[in-house]
Amino acid sequence: MSKGFYFKLALQNMKKNKRTCLPYLFTCVCSVMMYYFMSFLTLNPGMDKMPSGRNVRSIMGMGTAVITIFSLVFLFYTNSFLMKRRKKELGLYNILGMEKKHIGLMLFCETFINGVVSLALGLLLGILGSKLIFLFLLKLLSFPATLGFYVAGKSIVRALTLFGVIFLLSYLNNLRQIHMANPAELLQGGNVGEKEPKTRWLLVILGIFCLGGGYWIAVTTESPMEAISYFFVAVVLVMAGTYCLFVAVSVAALKTLRKWKGFYYKTRHFTAVSGMIYRMKQNAVGLANICILSTGVLLMISTTVCLYIGREEIIAGRYPQEVSISAHHIELEEWEELQRAEENVLQKWALEQENPLFWRNVQIAVILQGERMVSLSEDDEDKMLTVGMEKIAGVAFIPLEDYNACMGENRSLEPGQALLFTNHKGLDGRKELVIDEEQWEIVEELPEIFAENKVGDPMLNNYYVVVDSVETMERMAEEKPTLGGLTYQKSYDLSGDPKVFEQAEDELSARAAELASQSKQDYYVQVGARELNRRNFYQTYGGLFFLGIFLGLLFLMATALIIYYKQLSEGYEDRQRFEIMQKVGMSKREVRRSISSQILIVFFLPLFTAMVHIGFAFPLMKRLLALMNLYNVGLFAVCTLATIGCFALVYGVIYALTARTYYRIVN
Amino acid sequence: MSILEVEHVQKVYTTRFGGNQVQALADVNFQVDAGEYVAIMGESGSGKTTLLNILAALDKPTRGQVILNGKVLSMIREKELSAYRRKNLGFVFQDFNLLDTFNIQDNIFLPLVLAGESYETMKSKLHPIAQQLRIEEILRKFPYEVSGGQKQRVAVARALITGPQLILADEPTGALDSRAAGDLLTIFQEINENGQTILMVTHSVMAASRAKRVLFIKDGQVFHQIYRGEKSDEEMYGMISDTLRILATGGDCYE
Repeated sequence: MSKGFYFKLALQNMKKNKRTCLPYLFTCVCSVMMYYFMSFLTLNPGMDKMPSGRNVRSIMGMGTAVITIFSLVFLFYTNSFLMKRRKKELGLYNILGMEKKHIGLMLFCETFINGVVSLALGLLLGILGSKLIFLFLLKLLSFPATLGFYVAGKSIVRALTLFGVIFLLSYLNNLRQIHMANPAELLQGGNVGEKEPKTRWLLVILGIFCLGGGYWIAVTTESPMEAISYFFVAVVLVMAGTYCLFVAVSVAALKTLRKWKGFYYKTRHFTAVSGMIYRMKQNAVGLANICILSTGVLLMISTTVCLYIGREEIIAGRYPQEVSISAHHIELEEWEELQRAEENVLQKWALEQENPLFWRNVQIAVILQGERMVSLSEDDEDKMLTVGMEKIAGVAFIPLEDYNACMGENRSLEPGQALLFTNHKGLDGRKELVIDEEQWEIVEELPEIFAENKVGDPMLNNYYVVVDSVETMERMAEEKPTLGGLTYQKSYDLSGDPKVFEQAEDELSARAAELASQSKQDYYVQVGARELNRRNFYQTYGGLFFLGIFLGLLFLMATALIIYYKQLSEGYEDRQRFEIMQKVGMSKREVRRSISSQILIVFFLPLFTAMVHIGFAFPLMKRLLALMNLYNVGLFAVCTLATIGCFALVYGVIYALTARTYYRIVN
Repeated sequence: MSILEVEHVQKVYTTRFGGNQVQALADVNFQVDAGEYVAIMGESGSGKTTLLNILAALDKPTRGQVILNGKVLSMIREKELSAYRRKNLGFVFQDFNLLDTFNIQDNIFLPLVLAGESYETMKSKLHPIAQQLRIEEILRKFPYEVSGGQKQRVAVARALITGPQLILADEPTGALDSRAAGDLLTIFQEINENGQTILMVTHSVMAASRAKRVLFIKDGQVFHQIYRGEKSDEEMYGMISDTLRILATGGDCYE
């Protein structure tokens, strides 16, 4: 027989199986296209024109990695699913006289056709659409569009390699399945193992434990630093718990329902409960996949949308005033020189300072040991790592004189007395703070302080101790290992033409760095400026937003495909079952009602579970967003709800579309 | 007293895209009395299955009518049809048609659950039937765990449990080995002796020879019938074989 024959046969097979083949092909094309998009954005030279293109580029690189792994796993999984369905057909070929090597050849032709079509079409669409995607990204990043068209040769090569490997692996797996089975097995392939699933108590317990653990971490984790380190633990636990939930807990629950005679032997529940037990056996993993993908989509989109919408707020929180300058290890003359330079720059751009604040401080790092604080020297870095970030705090000593000036108050303190502000737990009503051997009497715990968000990092536990005088503060600098010695800080807003803010701030920052490098004292200076950083924030959050939507769509596509295949395979299995029920005396209406209730449960269970996951993840995500300077819980709640609403809508549409296929098969 | 009356039943199938008409049943007339055990024989394509579907109210005749217990089947409204069928008819199929998602007991309960009966009632109804059909030991098992003969006995139990007017059996021995088939036919005879009316469609001479009356269908009409009377199974077997031979060679036969 000629090679052309197998090619024709393969084409014919694909045409015959178009109900399953086309969606698979479509997924392959989309995967290739999306991979090309991501890879293109990572490699696009247009990215270099952006001031912080590297930032965006690394985000896109991350996206490429996700798509790579996803395509590998998902396409392989889908292929093996399709193969299982086709066992009967291949068994028939085998019995009709085709040898296994012939079947192998035929399958090779099929894989080859599928591969060539999806790569060609995917790359074509990718290249054509890449400009559009790039413009969309630039829009999100608030960056002016550039002209020109670029084809990323490297991306094409990479896509060819990656998807070549995926298709090769799929083909090898198909071959393996054929060679392992004999014709009789192949013929039966479709309907083996109708055994009732066993209740796997170990998995049930493990599932409850994992899910509970994941939820517990998500809800109870207080500090943002812990949230980061526990986030992945929680994700892994919840994922494992989800699989156990669908595989074992569902079966155990249904079996318990079955034991409850009064409930089980009701017309409505009878077929549903027993049917669900089998459905869960066959579909548990698929449903768990849908659930996890849905949760991923929801989390990704809700957080990135929230960050994107809240970016102005984030910037305002991070930079409460237009400009802030902090100089460490600095002498007074040098500070004055810096101020003069600053004035010159501002004058040049016709800008003026408004609402200026100025304060001195000394910062130290401490370990929290019960009610005591023990200061850390710079050599103690190892200790910092071993005790964990939640046990570390930053303490800033601020003289009362500066506090009064900044707050416009007129308080007085005795030596040994202090005011305290902290973003940490506080003193729980105690009246003293012990740092090393020294005890401070806390006159008042302040509800807020001007310096928060301007000194140090909001990720850390911060204590601000307002002490009676500059001398006391200086004594601290001498006695303890400081972070940056005596620090001068100031911040102010600008008035003048907002268009020149960015340039002025850029120059200010450069001038300060120049002065610092020239000084003999070798102080260092940090300039934080809102306009200067705005673009940075826009790009980071715009990039994340883009990635969120992009991967969200990818996952959504995967979800849709899994749902479609589930409907298809369930349809074929249920057809016989419902025929019997009709013969035994169930009316068409009862059958239809029974079908639709089971199908509804099966398909909305993952969505429901995903929503529960999201609900429990909310406190944890809220804290992670706080790390990114987003404190607006209301906004996050709205974004989450809106995302869930949209997703549920899309999910419903997917369900309705695929349910049609199902009903067509069953009837 | 006749429980089932089939009067001038005709069935014509029209192919979906118009045109071709195929006549499955031309003019079928017969009656079944309460307590009878009737076998209907005929070759493939003689219209047996069509007839059975019409009797089961799964299909409607083109002309003529079927009267079950004084009620014209085609007059029953679509909505009530399933309930009617469930209450008055019991089915036994060639391929058992047990649901693999239920255990044996639940398979038997299915029609009762659909009728909304309580667990206790079902349990009390099941007990004597399970005893008679010798399936008590396997009630907790699943269909895939039991033999073909057992499956068919379960199907009989499912047909009996609603206390139907008539049991319709479609090739009940078709998927069974000869021993299991013999067992099943014995069971049919036993339940018939208890007063259950049975109508069985078959082309197994052995199966038909155990019935009280055998109807032969050819070309969509009742062609001939044999009453058992006092005849033994062997005599019945011989007569049926002879009749089938005449049918096959195309001869006409009038009684």
